[in-house]
Amino acid sequence: MKKLTALTALTLAVLSGLAHADRLDDIKKSGVLRVASFDSNPPFGFVDAKSKQIEGLDVDYAKAIADKLGVKLQLQPTNPANRVPLLVANKVDLVLANFTITPERAEQVNFSIPYFASGQQFIVKKGTLKSEADLNTWRVGVDKGTVNEGVLREKFPGAKVVAYDDTPFAFTALRNGNVQAITQDGPKLIGLLANVPDKDKYEVPPFTISNDLIGVGIPKGEARLTDVVNETLTELEADGKAQGIYDAWFGPTTKTPLTRLYKIGDKS
Amino acid sequence: MFGELLAPRFLHWLFDGFVLTLILSLLTCLVATGLGFALCLARISPSRIWSWPARAYLALFRNTPLLVQLFFWYFGVTALLPEALVMWLNQPRSLNLVLFEIEWPSFEFLAGFWGLMLYTAAFICEEFRAGVGSVRVEQRAAGLALGFKPAQVWRYIVFPQALRTALGPLLGQYMNALKNSSLTMAIGLAELSYASRQVETETFKTFQAFGFATLLYVASIALIEVIGQLIARSKWYRQGGV
Repeated sequence: MKKLTALTALTLAVLSGLAHADRLDDIKKSGVLRVASFDSNPPFGFVDAKSKQIEGLDVDYAKAIADKLGVKLQLQPTNPANRVPLLVANKVDLVLANFTITPERAEQVNFSIPYFASGQQFIVKKGTLKSEADLNTWRVGVDKGTVNEGVLREKFPGAKVVAYDDTPFAFTALRNGNVQAITQDGPKLIGLLANVPDKDKYEVPPFTISNDLIGVGIPKGEARLTDVVNETLTELEADGKAQGIYDAWFGPTTKTPLTRLYKIGDKS
Repeated sequence: MFGELLAPRFLHWLFDGFVLTLILSLLTCLVATGLGFALCLARISPSRIWSWPARAYLALFRNTPLLVQLFFWYFGVTALLPEALVMWLNQPRSLNLVLFEIEWPSFEFLAGFWGLMLYTAAFICEEFRAGVGSVRVEQRAAGLALGFKPAQVWRYIVFPQALRTALGPLLGQYMNALKNSSLTMAIGLAELSYASRQVETETFKTFQAFGFATLLYVASIALIEVIGQLIARSKWYRQGGV
């Protein structure tokens, strides 16, 4: 009897899974696309001080996907740890929250093609870095105990690595001339530079030495929904809207200008 | 029981850090002893021109945390120096010393040595002064009465006794200098503590990384202690040879 119950439960679970297997139809029927995104991680997703709404780069992409499906967008704030559970528990249809594509996550959720890449970059004094290879002989500051330190040693074995307790210390060392460059994730470096009084003296050279690809998180096995999201992203790049979204948050006129190095569809 | 040991590559990192710790501490102790002795002479001088600057130095260096002093020398002072000089200080180069070549130390090393040395010298000065204080004033008078010149009184009566009294505390200050050298990791000097943290980050073998560093520190402190014992037991010391 016990066995039978277990079997029934299993069958029901499988059947209910199948019944829900087409999320795309559900979304269209209900007319609402539920998307999880950050509400305190500018410029990816944050509550805008004026409009009191969640806005940001991730949100713009979510809007574009909702438009493509012809449905309303409903945003659900999340933190990093909840992104996978929200998808697995069917609480949301998509996650657009600076969601880095990793093999471990890909076992639990589907990922779209990447729509953004954040990579390890450098800040140097303007005009000092003539070529990437120069870094091999330079003194370069990093944050102690970060992945960045390992990547730097691997890519530039000749560089003299000086590790500091945090990024502001490393930046002070760069200002003083104790190191000639410091390295961190590009968006973080830009965020740091935004608050520096003499930021005109520094630049972030337009190359990365590692890439974290950011994709849309989709419930596992939703092939049709994944296709639609991929299609939408490819279209956005083709008609220039993706560039427009990027420029709105990282363009030359924003507080955090960062050269766009990755385009949707690029091989990394 | 403690998991795997560390790969040879990481032991090599730790060893490099240890060598740097030893060089830094040794240089610091040597120079700080000289400076501390000179400071002590200034501090006990009856002339205020000498004793007041020494008092000010002691107050400043003994009453502020070493970490803040290191930040001051490394981050604070370089912000004031002309850019060309900082560039020059940071350039890797070799010193050619006729017979062999040594690498010019990194700026982190120079700043770390400078900060640690000035700090240690203040404490060493006070140990010397305590030693001098332990020799009763009457002895100086007795020396003068016997026809010694003042300089001879210091050379033959006060200092030998003062140094004997100061030996124990002095070794204690050397141990402190060795342990304090770990603070220079905050200004990016790749000494033993820095190396152990780096090994920990790379391998996630937390116990092994910090355990090794601890052992090396304990061993070097023990070595100082043994040297102290040897000196105290030597015939030369027991017969008042200082």
